[in-house]
Amino acid sequence: MSQVNRIKGGLIDTNRSLTFTFNGRKMQGHPGDTLASALLANGQRLVGRSFKYHRPRGIFTDGSHEPNALVELESGAHLEPNTRATTVELYDGLSARSQNHRGSLEHDLMAVTDLLSPFMAAGFYYKTFMWPKAFWEKLYEPMIRISAGLGSLSMKEDPDHYDKGFLHCDLLVIGAGPAGLAAALAAGHSGARVILADEDFRPGGRLSGETFVVDDIAGAEWTAQALTELAAMDNVHILTRTTIYGAYDHGVYGALERCTDHLAVKGDKPRQILWRIYSKRALLTAGATERPIAFGNNDRPGVMLAGAVRTYVNRFGVTPGREVALFTNNDDGWRTASDLAAKGVSISAIVDARDQAAPATIPGAQVFMGQSVVDTKGRKGLKSITLSGGHTIPTDCLAVSGGWNPNVHLTCHQRGRPDWHEGINAFVPGGALPPGMAVAGAANGTLTLGAALSEGHRAANAMTKDLGFNASRKPAPKAEDEAHECAAFWHVGASRARAWVDLQNDVTAKDIKQACVEGMASVELVKRYTTLGMATDQGKTSNITALAIMAEVNGKTIPETGTTIFRPPYTPVAMGALAGRARGKDFRPYRLTPSHQWAKANGATFVETGNWLRAQWFARPGEKGWRDSVDREVKMTRASVGICDVTTLGKIDIQGRDAAEFLNRIYTNAWLKLPVGKVRYGLMLREDGIAYDDGTTARLGENHYVMTTTTANAVLVFRRMEFARQCLWPDLDVHLISTTDGWAQYAVAGPNARALLAKLVDAPFDISNEAFPFMACAELSVCGGTKARLFRISFSGEMAYEIAVPTRFGNSLMEVLMEAGREFDAVPYGTEALGVMRIEKGHAAGNELNGQTTALNLGMAGFINKNKDCIGKVLSERPDMNRDDAIRLVGFKPVDHSQKLAAGAHFITKGDTANMANDQGWMSSVAFSPTFGHSIGLGFIKRGHQRTGEVVRAVNPARGSEVEVEITSPHFFDPDGGIQRG
Amino acid sequence: MAEYSLKSSSALSGYNHDFDGIKLRELTGLSILSIAVPLSGEAAAKTAIHTAFGIFMPEIGASTTSANLAMRLVRLGVDQLFLLGQSSDAKPAQLKGTVYTTDQSDVWIGLELSGPKARTALARICPIDLHPKVFAIDAAARTSMEHLGTIIIRTGNDAFVLLSASSSASSFLHAVELSIGNTS
Repeated sequence: MSQVNRIKGGLIDTNRSLTFTFNGRKMQGHPGDTLASALLANGQRLVGRSFKYHRPRGIFTDGSHEPNALVELESGAHLEPNTRATTVELYDGLSARSQNHRGSLEHDLMAVTDLLSPFMAAGFYYKTFMWPKAFWEKLYEPMIRISAGLGSLSMKEDPDHYDKGFLHCDLLVIGAGPAGLAAALAAGHSGARVILADEDFRPGGRLSGETFVVDDIAGAEWTAQALTELAAMDNVHILTRTTIYGAYDHGVYGALERCTDHLAVKGDKPRQILWRIYSKRALLTAGATERPIAFGNNDRPGVMLAGAVRTYVNRFGVTPGREVALFTNNDDGWRTASDLAAKGVSISAIVDARDQAAPATIPGAQVFMGQSVVDTKGRKGLKSITLSGGHTIPTDCLAVSGGWNPNVHLTCHQRGRPDWHEGINAFVPGGALPPGMAVAGAANGTLTLGAALSEGHRAANAMTKDLGFNASRKPAPKAEDEAHECAAFWHVGASRARAWVDLQNDVTAKDIKQACVEGMASVELVKRYTTLGMATDQGKTSNITALAIMAEVNGKTIPETGTTIFRPPYTPVAMGALAGRARGKDFRPYRLTPSHQWAKANGATFVETGNWLRAQWFARPGEKGWRDSVDREVKMTRASVGICDVTTLGKIDIQGRDAAEFLNRIYTNAWLKLPVGKVRYGLMLREDGIAYDDGTTARLGENHYVMTTTTANAVLVFRRMEFARQCLWPDLDVHLISTTDGWAQYAVAGPNARALLAKLVDAPFDISNEAFPFMACAELSVCGGTKARLFRISFSGEMAYEIAVPTRFGNSLMEVLMEAGREFDAVPYGTEALGVMRIEKGHAAGNELNGQTTALNLGMAGFINKNKDCIGKVLSERPDMNRDDAIRLVGFKPVDHSQKLAAGAHFITKGDTANMANDQGWMSSVAFSPTFGHSIGLGFIKRGHQRTGEVVRAVNPARGSEVEVEITSPHFFDPDGGIQRG
Repeated sequence: MAEYSLKSSSALSGYNHDFDGIKLRELTGLSILSIAVPLSGEAAAKTAIHTAFGIFMPEIGASTTSANLAMRLVRLGVDQLFLLGQSSDAKPAQLKGTVYTTDQSDVWIGLELSGPKARTALARICPIDLHPKVFAIDAAARTSMEHLGTIIIRTGNDAFVLLSASSSASSFLHAVELSIGNTS
């Protein structure tokens, strides 16, 4: 098939040809074509099947508002369904297929649904699939799902990559049509930083599709000159192929730039970029969208919007038909007839719903004033139209114009409601616009060229002046104002055949009337009941017509009937673009411990804790599972010495004259008398009295402390302390800075910990128990002069130290500790062994400080100092949080030592039914203890501290298990603390 | 002589790479001293800093350099500054107790990004407006890039220093490298 409909002219490069395929058929087009214009040039009128009734459909528009011409692009993992042919820039090798048909496009087996249409009116699904109830999930829904949807996904991982970015400007101009170009020129001359964005690959808007004259030259030529001028300005950034899809708070706009979609060879750069644009002001010059008129069988391939028909002729050098007819209710529609006639395209008839004198004379065209098109013929391509006066006129293309709707969408993104404009029978921006936004040109209801140009120019000058720039002194571009009288004529009531309002969702005028009759009073309900205005086009060509029909049925005006609210995105945005780089291993950043490389080389299995990757255990050859490794690590640590990277715990450097007082207010316990060189355990509460975080704080100097927090809460605790410092007590001289990443810190635990560290500590520092007892801390040097910090603290319950060196020495210190520890059979241990040993010792951790427990529950009521205030103290004193039967943290062991315990089990008294009424508490942490040879657990149970020795049931309905457990002290290991003090 | 000694290693192993229009390198041996100004102690701190290092205290969001450009003082907040230099440059003792100091050298990694395409690459991850009229030479800001807290300083027409946490250095480098790869 050759380009049978290609005519002379247009803004395309006919010197070069591009080859593409549609449903496997090879076709030719030219650079500057869209897929739609190339299909029309090749005489391809039928391009798809409709959503519900599988009716044959053709290209209806020339832009992103296209409801019909949705195709699948490319294949395999690159397949992209539901792509609007009217926005796809043609490239060599493009491959497209029609969608939503079973069998060929020409002979769709699913077209049978069209015959069933009398039974499938609005609300069909809601009414039909209600019974029997059980059928819905098993039968109805799967069946509907098979036939629903338009294109299909490849179900493969998207092989393209995407990026995001940030742009900044004084003025964002949204749309590079006449008003936008005039605005960008004015703002550019003022010196303001301007971003001019347009969704098309060719800026110009309607100037590209019309035969207008601006400043005495052809509109397209003026556009080219304007772009050259703008491109030469350093302060202007032109973004083509970029849709501003959303208006967000504080002048932030979302933009999608399509970078490589139009290239035959895509390269390795991101396919699309999602930009966040920070603007001081924004000018919406997004133009207007032509609306159709609803009449019988108005959905046949060949029925198109009038403005689109002349765009194909003027911009693309393609005539959509050989005998074109026009149906209009306004003057603008007549320009399609005059433009086509000027290009030598035959105009068979002009039908104008207005009963008045014809506004123009078109050679060879029959004119029918005061008449309407009531029906059409030609199932797979228009053949004729029938008029209300009874005439039947042969035609292969009917251009329809029902007037123009300003593209107000972005003005509504922050709940602005548009106003009705009687003069143009359309909604214009109204209500509260997003702060900083103004609107100009057709988007503002200024539908004529001369006025749009000067409005864009004026608006830009006002906004740049407001920002402190000197307004451009250049005059606004000049053009005539064309006739645009439009009648309030929406649909042809005399049509007997179905009149389609929403082509994408197969919603007819009758469906809308029926929805109103059935009580769908508001437009929102009609939308949901009929599916009007949904899917990729979001009702851009159908919403106003539907409102008009609703208004007619309900005897109201259109503004009384209402309007739908528009939300982002303006046009579809691929999920891949929203994800950007955040996929797979790059979903989020990782934090690595200083010994990561060592751990990796020594068999560590890593676990994600927050963003950290921590060694969970270190498998040795011959070990059959993680338990083998963990049991060995615990046993060897308790027998000799173990080393664990604890760098991930938060470290906060606290300095200031009032640092001690600050800690006194942050922690529940007293801090004023902690001597230099000592460490103390501290507990923090939330404002509501619930336990928040715990850790140790070391006093390194008179006004210098180092706090440790749990790994999970490091950032939160720091943020909370900054808030307290800056907002609660700005009168205190206290300063905070995180040093978590600055120190590599290792726990060295076990009976030989001291002997091992003695080999590293530089003389004359003495780490004997006498010189450096439990809860001591010091700044010292190790390994011949490397500065270090040493803390005599223990999480494992062992005689233990934590040693810290600057991070750059961290990996090396791990190597040295292992080397020096060889004589003691030192073992590295991971977070699992760490967890086992802390449960054996009875230390509370995240499972216990879970946001529901109080100091009393945790057995730490004594930590709340009675003689001072602290965050959370007042509310921790509420009576209900201090009940006699409050839950208490205790230990649990299975009566039958061979049984395993499970975290999450709830405690029930023997003989009671296992239900919520009899719930006594829950098991929070469990582990197999290699030290004791059986499972142990920590948990909360009512009055637990008074129930030692009692046997209760640990019931876990979720896992179907029940174990009898004995209540014990939470301190299974070394309950009197003699070992850790040793 | 001690039996054991510790070897120092930089988080990014001294990364240094030339791309088309951009040079990216790790600032090895970077010393960062955080300086906290005591309550009501700004005047004394200003004098002490100038006496010790010959640097004037900048306004918030800006930085100043020593005469030989070896040291840079960055003002991050009302009472917080970072003194950047090489490890031997700044000794806290020189400030004679007028301020509180914390060694931050190992908390951060520094990347220097320079070249005519540096700003274009940074636009992919940096939410801050880096236009020279807004973010002039010596300007500094705290922001986040790819979820990672970052301090950015403009050190030249086309040169920027980025500081980010050392534990996530490899993820941060990947983010910057990818931004360069996507734009150059």
